[in-house]
Amino acid sequence: MGRKEDNIARATEVMHQRERIRNLAIAAHIDHGKTTLSDNLIAGAGMMSEDLAGKSRVLDFDEQESARGITINAASASMVHKVGDDDYLINLIDTPGHVDFGGDVTRAMRAVDGCIILACAVEGTMPQTETVVRQALKEKVRPVLFINKVDRLINELQIDGPEMMKRFEKIILKVNKLISTFAPEDVKKDWQVSVQNGTVAFGSAYYNWGMSMPFMAKSGLNFKDIFEHCAADDQKALAKKAPVHEVLLDMAVEQLPSPLISQKYRIPNIWQGDLESVEGKAMMECDSSGPLSLMITKIWMDPHAGEVAVGRVYSGSIKHGESLWAIGGAKAERVQQVAMMVGGDRIQVPEVTAGNIAAITGIRSAAAGVTIARDKDAEPFEAIRHYSEPVVTVAVEPKAMKDLPKFIGALQGLAKSDASLQVKTNQETGEALLAGMGELHLEITVYRLEEEQGIKVKVSEPIVVYRESVESNNSGRPFEGKSPNRHNRFYLEAEPLSPEVVQALREGHFGDGTIRNKDAKSVGDKFAEFGMEKNLMRKIYAIHGTNVLVNDTKGIQNLHETRELIIEGFNEVCKKGPVADEPLMGVMLRLVDAKLHEDAIHRGPAQTIPAVRNACKGALIRSRPVILEPMQNLRVDAPNDVIGGVTREVTNRRGIIEDMPVDGGTASVIGKMPVAETFGFSNDIRAASQGRAVWNTENAGFEILPISLFDKTVGEIRERKGLKPEVPVEANYSD
Amino acid sequence: MEGRRLPRFTMTDGGLPAGLWLIGLGPGDIGLMTADGIEHARACEYRFLEGYTATLPIDQEILLESVIGPWKRVMRPQIESPQNILELAKESSVAILVVGDPMQATTHIDLEGHCYDEGISFTIIPGLSAISLAISLSGLQSYRFGRQVTIPFDYGNYLPTSPLEFIYANYANNLHTLVLLDLDPSGMGIDPPSPMMPAKAIGLLKAMDERLIEQESSIPKSMDEAVADWKGILLTDLGTPEQRIVSGRLEDLAMIESGRIHCLILPAEFTGMESEAYRRRLLKH
Repeated sequence: MGRKEDNIARATEVMHQRERIRNLAIAAHIDHGKTTLSDNLIAGAGMMSEDLAGKSRVLDFDEQESARGITINAASASMVHKVGDDDYLINLIDTPGHVDFGGDVTRAMRAVDGCIILACAVEGTMPQTETVVRQALKEKVRPVLFINKVDRLINELQIDGPEMMKRFEKIILKVNKLISTFAPEDVKKDWQVSVQNGTVAFGSAYYNWGMSMPFMAKSGLNFKDIFEHCAADDQKALAKKAPVHEVLLDMAVEQLPSPLISQKYRIPNIWQGDLESVEGKAMMECDSSGPLSLMITKIWMDPHAGEVAVGRVYSGSIKHGESLWAIGGAKAERVQQVAMMVGGDRIQVPEVTAGNIAAITGIRSAAAGVTIARDKDAEPFEAIRHYSEPVVTVAVEPKAMKDLPKFIGALQGLAKSDASLQVKTNQETGEALLAGMGELHLEITVYRLEEEQGIKVKVSEPIVVYRESVESNNSGRPFEGKSPNRHNRFYLEAEPLSPEVVQALREGHFGDGTIRNKDAKSVGDKFAEFGMEKNLMRKIYAIHGTNVLVNDTKGIQNLHETRELIIEGFNEVCKKGPVADEPLMGVMLRLVDAKLHEDAIHRGPAQTIPAVRNACKGALIRSRPVILEPMQNLRVDAPNDVIGGVTREVTNRRGIIEDMPVDGGTASVIGKMPVAETFGFSNDIRAASQGRAVWNTENAGFEILPISLFDKTVGEIRERKGLKPEVPVEANYSD
Repeated sequence: MEGRRLPRFTMTDGGLPAGLWLIGLGPGDIGLMTADGIEHARACEYRFLEGYTATLPIDQEILLESVIGPWKRVMRPQIESPQNILELAKESSVAILVVGDPMQATTHIDLEGHCYDEGISFTIIPGLSAISLAISLSGLQSYRFGRQVTIPFDYGNYLPTSPLEFIYANYANNLHTLVLLDLDPSGMGIDPPSPMMPAKAIGLLKAMDERLIEQESSIPKSMDEAVADWKGILLTDLGTPEQRIVSGRLEDLAMIESGRIHCLILPAEFTGMESEAYRRRLLKH
């Protein structure tokens, strides 16, 4: 039996010992060495050849990811690590380092209990790392810190011991500040990281060595040894004495919680059901003999096995051959294979038990975020909150019409495996609209269609997805919307919601869709927690994205039986706002009065929906409409001598430079830029810096489009959509 | 209020002045159109047949031109946004022809409002309504009818319950209900009408009943029997040679699949006069 096979055997053994399981993720910025580190951990644990580690990148399944040098999808890998006499099972979930794929990160965070924050000793923590850490903390995932690329600090920057400690302290301080800002109240203090308590390690993932306080005590090594080895260009020896996998996996075992411990405090955070129920208790206790509860975090398409669903088992165990429900699915489905993941290998096992990560095939209705259980009516995990909304769209169609059926099928597969991708297809024309996180995200999606599915496609220029909102209100001046037969009239008022409420809506705090009558009270009370008027919000009708509809009328006869139609009119306006048919964001619409025809025949859908639609749109126009444009945080690092060209490119594109730190010969431009201006930025910045700039972006929400650009931008959007270019006014919606 | 009736108009009086003339065609057979209606329709310079609140049988539609002159069909959008018609009516005499009695389609009151706003002369020429026929043919006494209802097509999750609530209120007051059936599933009034069939109407009544129970409505249910067992009189294609009147349990009436346009009477308790008339009519068929 080879070492790898031996390890697999041990892994399937220790899987059943819940206190010896650690589920963890690595949170890092692109190019900060995460994949190298993951590979070294896996190789160190004997799951792949050591010489390959750092070169082959086991976690990057897709050939394309390797080519681009970034990790696109979260995969998982299990490995065995020995501490003392005991084996521990480490389930490592890879998270994407690229900014564009925030959806995957959140989902991965649901599956793990701890995370290693990977910071670069030279560059510190980066915006994207912070986003990932924020997501981890929000999900009650406990962090530890690994400071990477220490070799560069010593060899390239020639930094001495005290200076190095200073750099470390700066990074640690920043991470702790993040923790105290974003961790749940009860753990803010306990989760602070420090070198002394063993929650910080440092080293070089590339050269495969690491160090921590506990490891120094265990091995007798000290800082001097590190400097000497680096100076002597003999990091290989250091890697033998202090292998990074041992240091980090020790740290994971000692510092991060087992599922047995973590599920007690995480289940109430991620599951809405009754904690006193059989299911609730089983999950809190991580009980393998309880009812099965598994949440899918990722679907990926295996060329041989087809759709493989990866997820965390919170209670019970999943066995091959049994019949299970994907909650919300139409029928029970049979599990064909159950496996553990080892990098590119799926190792089939008879069952995977509570606290572990399982890879399953056969459940075709599974999608990322779906709960799998034996009971059809099991309470699912709450909807996963996404931090990013699509901001860029392209139209795609197959070059050859004969590819149409294959094309539609392939898109459906992609939409299923990538929750941050939205796909709308027109079955007749074959044109599809892909909406994603950025230009790169969509380029990669198109690449997959062409290279993996072999479908040649035509792609339009990317289009920015704007939002519509208001900056004022029309309180006391409701807008009247008339039905086509003029027998029904609805009076609406609009107002902007506070940023806190919008954020809470985006995170799914209040739910989405039509609010059932019996739930209105409790939903209203939740809004009151955000400082909104309780009695008003208890009359809530519906939520659509970040918009709400409230029925603020009294005693209007027959209004109740028109409710669905009023909500439908509201929903239509949320999808297509009054100014440019772009989605609405952050608005409360209040129905303040209505006149209804007594006879239901004269207030059917064809009358009521347009009346409400016009009333909503008019109210929005009356409340000073604005266009919101998506922004990206930007960081460009370039040598000092070319940074002038970089700043020029950024400011020419309406970019705002917030900071320009200089570090030795390298300067950075940190700021914000509208997504609309980022198309082609890659080429221009390369030209401006002679290819020496490295740049990164992350989505930074929406900001009001400058008023000077309002008419022009609206005109362009409208023309593109085949609408009259003039900006609509109230009269457009009054009759 | 103005209540005077204009003297009977004839072609010998010369042409009509500019304005909008809303003219009833009667329930189906052109033979039931009034002489007054025919004279006015002929005299108007433009004639539009409103084609969405009701329809003529196809043979009568063909016949229409020979009786009143050439005409054009208009659908809901042209009537609800009537600017083109109103512009025409400012300069010329314009007839809008409505099957039945024009004001029975209550929505047309809106046209009067438009004309008033724009200073256009507006005149109604009444016609015989299917409602009138339904009552007289049923043998029931007209004063014993309560509020008339129309059953609209459902739409997704939308199903109004007020029609059934009114039916219950009529039963509670021992009044008959005349039930009209929707003829436009889209509600848009653009496509040719596709009148609701008895099975659909009765299915919707049942669905409304279920919804009232679901909503724990406070509406008093004045009927002990299930909707399927209620007695009803189904009147089909009134005012045409195909006219047919059938009575029975709603469940049985729901099986009727022939006929073009239907309406339904849900009778309360018969008076002595009414049951005698009913029995006489039973024997006749």
